[in-house]
Amino acid sequence: MLDSLKDVIRKSSIHVCLINTGGCNGCDIEVVALLSPRYDLEQYGIYVHNNPREADVLLITGPVTEQWKENLRRIYTKTPEPKIVVTLGSCPVSGDVFNQEGGCVYAPVSDFIPVDAEVPGCPPRPSEILESILSVAPGAIATKGRQRK
Amino acid sequence: MSSVIWYLYEFAKKAWIDKFTTAKSEKEIMDKPDRFRDFPQVTKENCISCGACTAACPTPSAIKLIRNTDATINEILTFPEIDNSICIRCGFCSEVCPSIPKTITCGENHEITEEFQIIPTEIKYVIDDYLCIRCKKCTKVCPVDAIEEQDNKLRINQKKCINCGKCTKVCPVKGSLKIIYVNNVEEQKQVIKLITNTLESVVEENEYQFKDLDKNSIFRMQIPIKPLKDKCLEIINMEDLVQDLLEKMIDRLNLRVITWDMDKCNNCRLCVAECPSSAITYNKNDGVQRDIDKCLRCSICYQTCPFYVVKFYNVRFLIEDDVILITVQSSQLSRS
Repeated sequence: MLDSLKDVIRKSSIHVCLINTGGCNGCDIEVVALLSPRYDLEQYGIYVHNNPREADVLLITGPVTEQWKENLRRIYTKTPEPKIVVTLGSCPVSGDVFNQEGGCVYAPVSDFIPVDAEVPGCPPRPSEILESILSVAPGAIATKGRQRK
Repeated sequence: MSSVIWYLYEFAKKAWIDKFTTAKSEKEIMDKPDRFRDFPQVTKENCISCGACTAACPTPSAIKLIRNTDATINEILTFPEIDNSICIRCGFCSEVCPSIPKTITCGENHEITEEFQIIPTEIKYVIDDYLCIRCKKCTKVCPVDAIEEQDNKLRINQKKCINCGKCTKVCPVKGSLKIIYVNNVEEQKQVIKLITNTLESVVEENEYQFKDLDKNSIFRMQIPIKPLKDKCLEIINMEDLVQDLLEKMIDRLNLRVITWDMDKCNNCRLCVAECPSSAITYNKNDGVQRDIDKCLRCSICYQTCPFYVVKFYNVRFLIEDDVILITVQSSQLSRS
C-alpha cells in the first residue's frame, strides 16, 4: 500500500538538477527550451532547479573538466536516494569535439559516477530529451526506490 | 466564498481535468521538422572507401571506416560506420562524400553540390582593359554581378562568374570581352602558329605584285578563309573554338613581313653582326643565310642593308564574311 503510493508520487513528481561539467552550453539551452510553454516540461510534473539536495534526477551535460572531477562526485553524494543520473548530449559519453589531441577533458562521465541513461545528440532536440526522460525517469526512480529496501 | 466557487467552477471542467491527468505535448511539436538534419544514414554499397568523410568530421573518431568480414559475401565491403554517441549531426560527411550516388545521406546536406568549380570548365571570360570603353553594359546584364569595377577598370570576378555569356552579347566593342578556352592550350598554340605562318607565306608568295610599292601607296588583296579554317579544324575539331581563334588572331593582326632578294646580296656581312637574335649567319659556301625560325622581324637588317636586299612590309588583316582582306604597306622606316 505504502509502496504503491510512493511509486505514484515518485512517478508524478520528478525534480531535476542540471549540471554542466564544462560543456558548450548548447544542451543547457535545449533544456531551457524544454521549460518554455511550447514543450512545457512542468506539465509532466518535472521540475528543473539546480539544487542537488532535493533532486531525483541528475542531468549532466558537458565533458568532465579538471575542476569538475572532484565536484561531480561531491554533488552525487549529496543527492538523496533514490537517484538516477542521465547524461545529456554527446559530451558526457565521448567528450565529442572537446576530446581532441591535447584536450583536457576526462570523458566519459561514467568513469566518476554511475550513469543510468544516455541521451546522445549534439545537442539533442528538446522533443528527444522529453521523450527519453518520460520513457525512462518515472519508472527508473520507482524501481530504484523499491530496490533500496 | 465567491472566489472559491469561481475556482471550483473554473477547474472542474472536463477538458482541464483531462489535460491535468494525461499530460502530453501536442504531436506536431514532438514531431521532427521536415528538413531536420538527423544522424547520417549509410548506404554501404555505394562506398568507395576514400576516407573523405573521416577527414571532414569535426569530432575525433565519430566516423570509422570498417571492413565487412561477413563470409557469406564474396566481395569485401568497406564502409563508414557512424557512432551516434559522438556524432554531432553537422552533415559535413555527406557534403564531402564524392561517390555518386552518395554513400552518406544526412538531412538535405547530401544534396549540396559545389556552386562553381575551382578548375574552370572550357570557357572563361576576361575583359581586355585596353579595348574596354567602360560603357558598363555588361555589368547591367550580368545576372550574378560578377563584373566589378576596381580603380576605374572593369574586371570579371571568376569566383562569381557562371559562364552564361550574356556580357559578350551586349559588348559593343569587338574583342573587348574575350572568351578564353581553358582546355587544349597546346593545340590552340599550334593553331595560332599555323595562322600566322600561312598568312606570312601568302604575303611572301605574292611579293612580285607589290615589289615596287612606294612609301605612300597601299596594295590590297584578298584570300578565301575556307582552306585555312579547314587546316585549323584538323588540329582542333571544334567549330566554335576555331572560328573564335581565327577572329581573334586575324582581326587587328599587324604582321611584319621581311623578304630577302638574294640576287642583290653582295655578302658584305653588315647585317650578320647587327642581328640581335643571330638569325643571320655567314659561311663561305652558302653566303649570307637567314634563319626564319629565329628571326624576330625586328627590321634591323632592313635598316642596315645598303643594297636593298631586305624588304620590309607592314601587313594588316581583316576578316569579312568568307575572305581575309590583306592590306600591304611598305615600311615607313628610314634607312641608314
